[in-house]
Amino acid sequence: MKNAIAIAKKELNIYFATPIAYVMFTLFVVIGSYFFLRLLGSYEQASLMYMRFNSPEMMNRLNFQDAIFRNLFGNLGVILIFIIPFLTMRLVAEEKRQKTMELLYTTPITPGEIVWGKYLAAILILVCTLALTLLYPVLVQLVAKDQTGVEWRSIFLGYAGLFLLGAAYMALGLFISALTESQVVAALITFVVLLMTWIIGWTAQETEGSMREVVTYLSSVSHLDSFSRGTLDLKDLVYFLSICALGLFATHRAIEAHRWS
Amino acid sequence: MIEVEHLVKSYRELKAVDDVSFQVQSGEILGFLGPNGAGKTTTMRILTGVLPPTSGKAKVCGFDVFENPIEVKKRIGYLPENPPVYTDMTARAYLRFVASIKGVPRKARESEIERVATKTSCTQFLHRVIGNLSKGQRQRVGLAQALLGDPEVLILDEPTVGLDPAQIIEVRELIKSLAGKHTIVLSTHILPEVTAICQKALIIAQGRVVAYDTLEGLQRAHAGAVTADGSPGPMPSLEEIFLKLTSL
Repeated sequence: MKNAIAIAKKELNIYFATPIAYVMFTLFVVIGSYFFLRLLGSYEQASLMYMRFNSPEMMNRLNFQDAIFRNLFGNLGVILIFIIPFLTMRLVAEEKRQKTMELLYTTPITPGEIVWGKYLAAILILVCTLALTLLYPVLVQLVAKDQTGVEWRSIFLGYAGLFLLGAAYMALGLFISALTESQVVAALITFVVLLMTWIIGWTAQETEGSMREVVTYLSSVSHLDSFSRGTLDLKDLVYFLSICALGLFATHRAIEAHRWS
Repeated sequence: MIEVEHLVKSYRELKAVDDVSFQVQSGEILGFLGPNGAGKTTTMRILTGVLPPTSGKAKVCGFDVFENPIEVKKRIGYLPENPPVYTDMTARAYLRFVASIKGVPRKARESEIERVATKTSCTQFLHRVIGNLSKGQRQRVGLAQALLGDPEVLILDEPTVGLDPAQIIEVRELIKSLAGKHTIVLSTHILPEVTAICQKALIIAQGRVVAYDTLEGLQRAHAGAVTADGSPGPMPSLEEIFLKLTSL
């Protein structure tokens, strides 16, 4: 465990010594803010419209969670597909290219500790990325003082969902990074794989029966929806956790295999 | 200290290391010689637990490299051919990281870094990012990394590559001063280096051991024929022996 923390510290040191983490943070916040502002705009329009038609029933139904955050979390989940490949590409590939893997192999640490350390660093970067967007609910809360404000419980469940989605993506990215010596190849393949897990959900509308269920289950972003609605579905939790476990296990294997080759 | 018995490493048909056996006593410096691609690096990588051998045994400090790799790695300092440095980190952050994964206690870390940096004369550039250092400076950071934690066994793969003449002498003096306390295996193809610092030499070619003896023993074995008046023939230089043995 101590060794894993040492590895994680080193990874974080490199993340922040190079521009990559800052660039991805900026990208995430800029694109995220764009979606947030648009959703806020449409919320405003809707509330104005309901007021004009004087329909208190509709006004009651309008709430921040459904009108803004549920969609926002879905959007943020999709943006993660675009930034996570760049956050995981370096993790193992660069160690192989620079031959620093040899250093790790000749010091008394196990491949398991290498994997955990690297994953821990990736998770902390993910937490930083998501924490930056906490500004949105805080802003809404500040502006909506006189109303009931945001439902923090649902917001945090939404973040938990985003975190799990990101953690699953990170695990896949880490594994793909362990397969190659080239950061570019790692980023590209990770991006394609993550994109596939999103796109596959689109076909759900065109398929029927059990096929539809399978496709929906495979689609990563669809599992986010229960969280962003403010509910906790065990099925979705299992989905994310099993992808994390699979990714980490495969990374462990890949690192062991690299040593034997 | 180091015992290697019938070590074989094959990659499909290619035998990179073919039945290599040798022993290094505690405190000795073994010069590991051979032309490029002879299997020096492969042998060293097996000794340090990076690569598993195809067959044969290697023991370091009484621990089998294959069965007890963690115990072996605790006692080894290894400098690979290319210093394994993270180019995005400063030299100090890098050494701090290596010290922590080598299990140097937190309190002793800074003083340990100072110690190895002084020995390898890295102190002036500890604060700099490794990517901006010269080849020789990186090599010295790599050497400092191998010395961290004061391991009993040092395995150095061409430690003087990329250094300028003054630094080469410095590093040789350093290695000499480490002998006695540490057991050292040093690979090189700079022959005067072996004459300058090693007690024993192991010459391998195409994966096989072609000579393994003390330097004097090697010279005696390859001395010219006894001349007519009964005096021994001229002593060959290590270079002559090396060329004779490896030009198979």
